Amino acid sequence: MTQQPSTSPVDDSVPKVGGEVAVGENLPFQRRWWMFERFIWGFFLVLIVCDLLGLFGQGWLAKARATVPDGALRVDYERIERASTPSTLTLHFGPTAIQNGRVQVYISDSIVKGLGAQRISPQPAISAIGDKGISYTFAATHSPAEVDIQLQPSGVGPHAFRIETPHEPPIAASIFVMP
Amino acid sequence: MQTIVHAIIGYFILLLVVRVLKRRAGSQMTLFEFVLIFLMGGVIILSTVGKDRSVINCTCAVMAVALVHRTLAWAKSKSATLGALIDGTPLVVIKRGEWQTEVVRGMSLRREDVEAAARAQGLTSLNEVDYAILERNGGISIIKSS
Repeated sequence: MTQQPSTSPVDDSVPKVGGEVAVGENLPFQRRWWMFERFIWGFFLVLIVCDLLGLFGQGWLAKARATVPDGALRVDYERIERASTPSTLTLHFGPTAIQNGRVQVYISDSIVKGLGAQRISPQPAISAIGDKGISYTFAATHSPAEVDIQLQPSGVGPHAFRIETPHEPPIAASIFVMP
Repeated sequence: MQTIVHAIIGYFILLLVVRVLKRRAGSQMTLFEFVLIFLMGGVIILSTVGKDRSVINCTCAVMAVALVHRTLAWAKSKSATLGALIDGTPLVVIKRGEWQTEVVRGMSLRREDVEAAARAQGLTSLNEVDYAILERNGGISIIKSS
């Protein structure tokens, strides 16, 4: 069956309600939207300020430091990291940590797995696994002595870690990885 | 899997940001808008694809975004409220020859934008405009005084 072409005249295509053009305007909705816009721009501003301060990592608030009481070991790290973004965890060894020309340090597995340790610099002379972590031994002469561990975390969320040198209390802390 | 989730999150973040940007009267895409599109698109793609730049990964991400877009378009056709949330509603800028100051201020409209729309309709003065309507796409429709 073929369709017959319409022969009715084309009327005014703009609908009218009460003599006024009705275009589907919804001013009450628009007023609420303008309020929402003001709120959301404020929210965006807060996010940007938080980011600049380092609340989401890579900034002033993200930097953290942990030290054992006698200063044998100090750890500089970022308490907030970003997923798939490189960062550095630095171990500073005091004079008491260097014994017989070497430094020994234990790091928990979470630094290697959860926090994605990519590289350790300088290379340790000896690496030994066990006790849910890795023990590294470095040749050392005098303090200050530093070891950098390059991290690139992939898992989002909190990652507790533990670092310790022999005969010293451990440094236990947590790093939160942002998506 | 991760790329698809990131692509969908990126889609909604971009949708929100673009939606809360004021509709630009005239709906013409200028260099001003190109800057936004290229920069936002370029930044969001970095977190979407990540290190996996394989063809299958990118194809799946594109298809996921297309699917979300299509679903939203279908939902908009079913729900006027959702349509208003995503696209906004038309707004009357001039009603019976009178400027609607609340709309003009709220949408950061300029008189020149309405004048340009009037000229496009062959009008030489805003006195000849009965209605001016800011459409959802940013275009300004003009209805002449009879």
